[in-house]
Amino acid sequence: MREYIFKFRFVFLLLVASSVKVSAQNFKFLIPDQAIVQYAGSIGYFSGGVGYELFGNKKGNLDLLYGFVPGNKGGVLHIATAKFGYKPWTIKLKDWGKVYPFNPAVFVTYTFHKDLSFKFPSGQYAHDYYYWSEALRPHLAFSSEIELDAKKLVKNIGVKAIGLYIEANTNDFYLINYLQNTSALTITDIFQLGVGIRVKF
Amino acid sequence: MRIFLLFLLCAAFASCNHFEFSPNQTFDKISLKDVNATNLKRLGNGADDDTVTFVLTGDSQKSRDETVQFCKAVNAIKGIDFVVLAGDITEFGVLKEMLWISRTLEDLNPPYVAVIGNHDETARGKETFLHMFGELNYSFVYGGIKFVCHDSNSREYNFNGQIPNIPWLKNELKPSPQIKGFVGISHVPVNSEDFDGKLIKDYTATFAQTPGFLASLNAHTHNYQLYYPDNSGIPYVITSAMANKEFLVVQIINNKISFERVYF
Repeated sequence: MREYIFKFRFVFLLLVASSVKVSAQNFKFLIPDQAIVQYAGSIGYFSGGVGYELFGNKKGNLDLLYGFVPGNKGGVLHIATAKFGYKPWTIKLKDWGKVYPFNPAVFVTYTFHKDLSFKFPSGQYAHDYYYWSEALRPHLAFSSEIELDAKKLVKNIGVKAIGLYIEANTNDFYLINYLQNTSALTITDIFQLGVGIRVKF
Repeated sequence: MRIFLLFLLCAAFASCNHFEFSPNQTFDKISLKDVNATNLKRLGNGADDDTVTFVLTGDSQKSRDETVQFCKAVNAIKGIDFVVLAGDITEFGVLKEMLWISRTLEDLNPPYVAVIGNHDETARGKETFLHMFGELNYSFVYGGIKFVCHDSNSREYNFNGQIPNIPWLKNELKPSPQIKGFVGISHVPVNSEDFDGKLIKDYTATFAQTPGFLASLNAHTHNYQLYYPDNSGIPYVITSAMANKEFLVVQIINNKISFERVYF
């Protein structure tokens, strides 16, 4: 055990030493590519966070957001979101912008609240009494985004582009309700909207 | 240009209250408030009604399609004074489910009241229920009969000995000159493992000792059952679930109670 700890320390020190040398290079991936602010969309009254472009083609996006719902809007809720989105199609708008017409995404939310547990307590409930998690919620989403080339709008502000998006999402709860009741519920019942701004550096 | 129009269209669509902050928010701009109180006001006290007839159903969770048919079936029956939805309105205790079900139940001709079920108490369902329907323990009088609706979801409180609230029940079941009979309504029946075992004796004795106590009505098990847990002669009746397309029509005439199973 001690040996392991020693080894681990050694490796850790090596890592730190090497990273200090070339930190700018190695940890560049930690610097976000985008800053995001979103209204609604089931992840908070308002939420904010960072986005990372993924893959060589930059069609993938990972957003990490923190959202808040105040008491007077049905809260108080603190929500952490990790969203993976993909932009399969791009429409060029002359030289001043782009449209990503239909971008599928999946995201998970974790809601912090005393009434919401990750798992129902096993002492209180038999296994499978309730089959879901109250706090952790998987979502399915689709968004449309219009991206404006910042350099064409204003010069020298250090921003590459500004994206405005609208996103419709649903979650496991709503999907289960919908799939079992396709005549009483419609797709628009289960999809909820959010709008956001994505600033790209 | 066409894209902008599309965006405008989306925005218009969006404005119809589809902006959700969280599935766990307890209310939103259009969510209803005090449904039970509003409907009871509409019901009135039935002072001149000597035949009290009502529908007992429960467990509408995940059964929106069936609830639509339920409303049609109930509306087709003449003389129904009110409808009781005895718990598990929702599957996951979230606002949207309560909104969807209430939207459907608004098609009922008679007024309806809801009683809280164990599923409704998951997540933030208790707060959502309080906001949308009202108190978890409440009572109303119609046609000289007092209906005592209460929370019997003991497991949700980890069997803390407080649910069902027996002191509250005893107080509600006190004799009064205007009241001829009493009916108890809650979600979890006394013969269920989800009912606090420590309270069974006190609970059934409380009903047995109440002069004019007619019946204890429940849902939860999804199957019709009529049983007698003690020798008081008081019937304990469980209604079938919405999904099974069956409900109970309960009738009280001259303090005599009868039950009819109706299929739709």
